[in-house]
Amino acid sequence: MATAETKGRRARILVVDDSSLVRLYYLSALEKAGFVVEQAINGIEATEKVLDQDFDVLIVDVNMPGMDGISFVKDLRRRNEDVAALPVLMITTEAGEQDFADARAAGANYYLVKPVSEADLIRHVSALAGWAR
Amino acid sequence: MPLIKRGNPLPTETKAPGVTGSPVGDLTSPDVDVRWRAVRGLSPDPALVAPLAKALQGETVPRIREAIITVLMRIGDETSVRVLLPYLRVQDASARTAAIDALRAMPDATLPFMTALLSDADTDVRILAAELVRGMPAAQATSLLVALLERETHPNVCGAAVEVLTELGTPDALPALQGCADRFSDSPFLPFAISHAITRISRAGG
Amino acid sequence: MSPHERPVAASVTVTADDVQRLCEFLYRRTGMLFDGSKRYYIDRRLTERILATRSNRFDEYFAHLRSDAEHEIEHLINAFTVNETYFYREDHQLRCMTSNLLEDIVLRRSSDEPIRIWSLPCSTGEEPYSIAIWLMENWPAVDRYDIEIVGSDIDTRALKAASEGIYGERALMRLTKSIRERYFRPLPDGNLQIDPGLRDSIRFTKANLIETPSMNEYRNIDIVFCRNVLIYFDDASRRMAAENIYDCLRPGGYICLGHSETMSRISSLYQVCRFPDAIVYQKPEADDGNR
Repeated sequence: MATAETKGRRARILVVDDSSLVRLYYLSALEKAGFVVEQAINGIEATEKVLDQDFDVLIVDVNMPGMDGISFVKDLRRRNEDVAALPVLMITTEAGEQDFADARAAGANYYLVKPVSEADLIRHVSALAGWAR
Repeated sequence: MPLIKRGNPLPTETKAPGVTGSPVGDLTSPDVDVRWRAVRGLSPDPALVAPLAKALQGETVPRIREAIITVLMRIGDETSVRVLLPYLRVQDASARTAAIDALRAMPDATLPFMTALLSDADTDVRILAAELVRGMPAAQATSLLVALLERETHPNVCGAAVEVLTELGTPDALPALQGCADRFSDSPFLPFAISHAITRISRAGG
Repeated sequence: MSPHERPVAASVTVTADDVQRLCEFLYRRTGMLFDGSKRYYIDRRLTERILATRSNRFDEYFAHLRSDAEHEIEHLINAFTVNETYFYREDHQLRCMTSNLLEDIVLRRSSDEPIRIWSLPCSTGEEPYSIAIWLMENWPAVDRYDIEIVGSDIDTRALKAASEGIYGERALMRLTKSIRERYFRPLPDGNLQIDPGLRDSIRFTKANLIETPSMNEYRNIDIVFCRNVLIYFDDASRRMAAENIYDCLRPGGYICLGHSETMSRISSLYQVCRFPDAIVYQKPEADDGNR
């Protein structure tokens, strides 16, 4: 059964997506499931929050204006800090092999295709939060 | 006092080796710095669109690619838009983002292409096109997106259209939004998004 | 009734959803980002603009804003940036400079060239003088290095005022009495003037951020302060300014933007650096061919 607890406390999730509607959708689903959720509108705000606070899982949309999700994750993996190892769930609109390969190559741990159901979201986030132990 | 003031001007750049003095030729130089200086020295001349397009095709260094696109944005005419449109279809997410960011800044030049883009065979192109509609006046944007919603079969494209309508949609969009909600009642996310859009537009429409 | 005859609402209420919509729009257009703690501040500024444009409610105002009629976007940005300049404005970035940036800069120095700091645009000089005073007051290593501070602007009248260095209470409000005594001398009309030694040690020049030839005269800069100006530019100009500043910076040099600003298309030119006092952007040190 999916659990929102990790290390004996509620897992903290950062949602990175330029769409406020999508962020709201994930936020409602995640909070209902017992996670603590923060949001970021772009890679820069996300970088700031990731360096300021502890997170267990990042959910990152691929298609963001300014700094796309793949570039953001690549940049994260380049940093010589704990953040480089943060579990990342990448969300994209394509189901092709190349996108999956690109996401993995950038350093994403898992990959979901939009539209994402609440159940799929919770299941994958819970699994990644468990890996953060 | 540690503050010093130079009598002479600050150090300026000297001509780098390899610079031929011919910017267009230098756009495809094997040397990164030469290419960078070449593109940075260009003025927004429409005659440059063809060589810029060629340079863009082969360019792998992100900052040089961005600088080429900056010049295209400054030229900002339909020929520039034509250069960028194919990049909406490429595999590389950062190239797609670069193209869409540029097109977003050229709403007038992009307008003639919008109808075709919104009915493109490629789902991702339709999604990106819906986002571009955001830069248009509300009435025109609403009508384009309503037409899209009425015929669209892919939930992610509808989602993109609904996003934009949430910002600028007029009450004319309400029937199409409701129709979309009925057709996609089993889809994740879309009913949520449409309900949000309808609430917002209804409240504003008074 | 014509728009001018329409009665103006005595007051207007804005909802959380209205504020959300406005912030999203502003972010897409200018890169400005506001967090939740700014809610009251945004409410007030937004209400002011709604009334100033004789709109009766938010949605009317928002349509007006989207069309950018009468340069409303600029008016709105002005309302949010509190378009006033004063000494020690956003001093958390000055603190970041002395706590983090300079340490890194001196570590990487390969020559005895001066440390170069550029305030651009410098307006009437409060920022470059603040940088100088802050350094002398807060950087223990200040006497060990040659420091060159340049203030540039497109407005020659502002530059002239900057070189004269005369300021009134509004500009000085954040400066303590002892700082005023150390760096200024009083004038008969009650204003203060920066001491001649300090005035003469700062170079004021005319420069245009988006004009590449103008910017090409500046190289090997260690820190650029470019605050609350990029938000006014359109996308193409913003990109040009970012590219121009990139070329002016030494590898590893830093650029500081205004508090709510984010830089778009940033990943190809700069790396985001999060320090305790500020977020700044850094030009990569070595060109690994990926940037």
